[in-house]
Amino acid sequence: MALTTVHKIRDRVEKRPLELAAAREKGAKVVGWLSYAIPEEVITALGLIPIRIGTGGDTRLVEIGSRYISTKNCVFVREAVGLFAENKDPYIVNSDLVAFDAACLQLFRTAEVVEHYFKVNTLVLGVPRNFYWPEAKEYFWHELEHFVGKLEELAGVKLDPKRLAASIELYNGIRESIKELYRYQAGNNPLITWSQTYDVIHAGYYLDRAEYAALLRELLAELKDKQGEPVISHTYGEARIFLSGSVIPPKDHKLIDIIEQVGGRIVGDDLWSGLVPHLNVEIKEPTVKGIAYAYLSRVPHAALPYLDLKTDERLKNLKGLIGAFHAQGVINHTLRYCDPFTFKAGETKEQLKQIGIPMLEIHTEYAGSDFEAIRTRVEAFVEMLRNLDYQEAV
Amino acid sequence: MSNSTVDLYRYPEELKEEFITTEDINFRDGSKASAEEIWHFMTVEAPVRYPHAFTKSSYYHRQLSRDIHLPSSIKHNYLFLTMKDRIENSRRNGTPVIFVQGGQSVDPYYAAGAIALRPASVGLWASGRHEGNTMVGEEVRRMDEKEKAYRAISFEACQTAGYEHIQEGDLPVDMLAPFTCLRCSDVSYGVEAHRHGKKPVNLFLGDFPLDHQKDKPWAIDYFAHNLHRLTKEIGDMAGHVVTDEALRAEIRLHNAGRRLALDTADAWWSADAPPTNGSDRRAIFQMGGMEMHGDPTASLTVLKEANRYIRERVKRGVKGNGVQDNPGRIFVCGSCVFPNEFRTEEAGGVIVGNDNHWSDISTLVEEEGDPYYNLSKAILSYPYEQDIETRAAWTIQEIRKSRAHGVLFLYNWGCNTQSAIARMLVDIIKRETSLPTLIIEHEFGASQSEQLQNRVNAFVEMVRP
Repeated sequence: MALTTVHKIRDRVEKRPLELAAAREKGAKVVGWLSYAIPEEVITALGLIPIRIGTGGDTRLVEIGSRYISTKNCVFVREAVGLFAENKDPYIVNSDLVAFDAACLQLFRTAEVVEHYFKVNTLVLGVPRNFYWPEAKEYFWHELEHFVGKLEELAGVKLDPKRLAASIELYNGIRESIKELYRYQAGNNPLITWSQTYDVIHAGYYLDRAEYAALLRELLAELKDKQGEPVISHTYGEARIFLSGSVIPPKDHKLIDIIEQVGGRIVGDDLWSGLVPHLNVEIKEPTVKGIAYAYLSRVPHAALPYLDLKTDERLKNLKGLIGAFHAQGVINHTLRYCDPFTFKAGETKEQLKQIGIPMLEIHTEYAGSDFEAIRTRVEAFVEMLRNLDYQEAV
Repeated sequence: MSNSTVDLYRYPEELKEEFITTEDINFRDGSKASAEEIWHFMTVEAPVRYPHAFTKSSYYHRQLSRDIHLPSSIKHNYLFLTMKDRIENSRRNGTPVIFVQGGQSVDPYYAAGAIALRPASVGLWASGRHEGNTMVGEEVRRMDEKEKAYRAISFEACQTAGYEHIQEGDLPVDMLAPFTCLRCSDVSYGVEAHRHGKKPVNLFLGDFPLDHQKDKPWAIDYFAHNLHRLTKEIGDMAGHVVTDEALRAEIRLHNAGRRLALDTADAWWSADAPPTNGSDRRAIFQMGGMEMHGDPTASLTVLKEANRYIRERVKRGVKGNGVQDNPGRIFVCGSCVFPNEFRTEEAGGVIVGNDNHWSDISTLVEEEGDPYYNLSKAILSYPYEQDIETRAAWTIQEIRKSRAHGVLFLYNWGCNTQSAIARMLVDIIKRETSLPTLIIEHEFGASQSEQLQNRVNAFVEMVRP
């Protein structure tokens, strides 16, 4: 059964580049951003238009980017540089300023590279690595104050507390809707797949956020009407897969397509291009300080090292989501030269093994040369998960 | 190849009389090594225990310098080859040993009563526990050990935070506490990897804040907090309270090393003919960081003597051993790695300077006032750790001082941070200086790849006047 709201969202995304260009002609300012810790709440509250930029899967752009950064940087970063070099992506072209944060060191350096070679107006937000310390939260608060000050210069207005409170409410609503949407896609006999849900999340990178929030509510209402309340359980013969690891940005379909082609069912993720940015954002006061403290208290990004395995919130969240979505196995996607995830892959596998969850690591780039090798491995993994059902039945 | 069949290099016996009149090495614990004791170790004991260091092959970049009339060269190698004995003796006497990052100051670690060892020094300590290895044996051992870390962490790792020695081996490091400088992304994840290792070890990250950090008071305050926590944790481990005065005294001591290294560099660079070969130059300049021997007092003793010899050589126009006439002067940028200096000299070049391990040495710390704030301010202003354009401006200044004819940028396999900035940094240097530049990817290994050295040699040939 087709979901009309999904089509509507797709249609709105197609029209968005022209709308953005028209809005800019009328004086609107667009803030593109890459990375993980940029709070859209303040961008929206200042009347600026936030756009999350960056795409994947294009080896031509990767090659162009490699001329300015190096072949030893991850393909996402190289493609990002390629996007700026080519300057044809409508969201790149329409960005008045591009914000980065310093969580991923490669993206942090990308800001300087694109500013130097392509004269991109950039702004960087420092992110502490000892994020769980009170002093780190204090530092991040000051960093965010500084960051907001620069955005105020672009917007030509000061941050208004009432508008900030309204913006926070808007984003809280989006986050709640996305969490609800994930329950539907993971449910039995779902009307929406994980990859459709993933596309809906990516639509939120581009659409006007108030409109996006309304579309999410409409989609949830349609799902409730057509599917009823979701029941999440594992049915015999399913290979329920949880996707973890490095970013899988819009247009990078390689691994997702392979999993679905060989009969695997993705039921959840803890990707920073997926569900995770929408979890555990508890803004206790509608101020810059409140946002800073809340963002540092989220599920930490793997780029921020954490020294105690037993209390690692990232792993705790991963295990919790696997349970909530009734996943049977994890495919850990690591991009070549993506150290934050690659360095932890073996450890994550060991941790999951201890709770009886098998993990397959797929270490890849955007090139198609490893497509068949990946397919063979994913197919075997899916078959293994199905066999678990068979073995249990026997 | 067994040791008995290897033809080893030996210091000429006729040098002994001259050498034993040179200065003792003073150590932090008040003890000394006389020049005669050093001579004995380097001519009798060390060739048996560490034959790889005495190889005659210039393919081994860790071979001993042949500049036998430069006492500091022999003494520096003495300190390297006694690293294991000295560190383990200090540990037995209750001094904790801390793994730190290269290119960072170590004042707070010593003020807190510990020994701070950067990755290469930890490797030297580990190497010292394997005696009797020839060059090939040592090379195989090192690669084997690194492989263990690759398996436990990632084959894309450059810096593995001593995992191979501490978790897979038996090196008794008490704590890992590097600064998370932006020079290296791997070290943070390498330290983090120890959390799943076989052996419990204390872990700490000195969180170096990024993005125009030196101009942000809140960033300086934050890093000062990190330094407070660091000295408190080490002090607790070492069993004493770290006072502000103790830290100030340590800063003064380390500033003395930094100033002396700067003075030595000025003299070295002013000479028409390089007064030492590249290997000795690197060791002498780097002694100003006071961290390479695991004993700042010893480093300072040797550096003082080296400074006098360099100044004398410059005055007399003496050229370093192995350096050809009118060499192609190469400045090296990038990761914490080098081409083989001996083979570069065979090709007619000489390495006259580098940015890594010089940035921290060239940054003095204010000696009056709050020592934590002063240290934080200095550390956050390391030129190597700034935005690329600021770093480039400083690098160009050092290149000009060194009168280099060409600039090499080397980044190590897996070094995502230095590789990311290589193109831009080199483009700025080229634009501002009109010097030829070359970017090369480097890989670990005591005897480096012929392909890498071929490219360096071709570059030398091109830039040599």
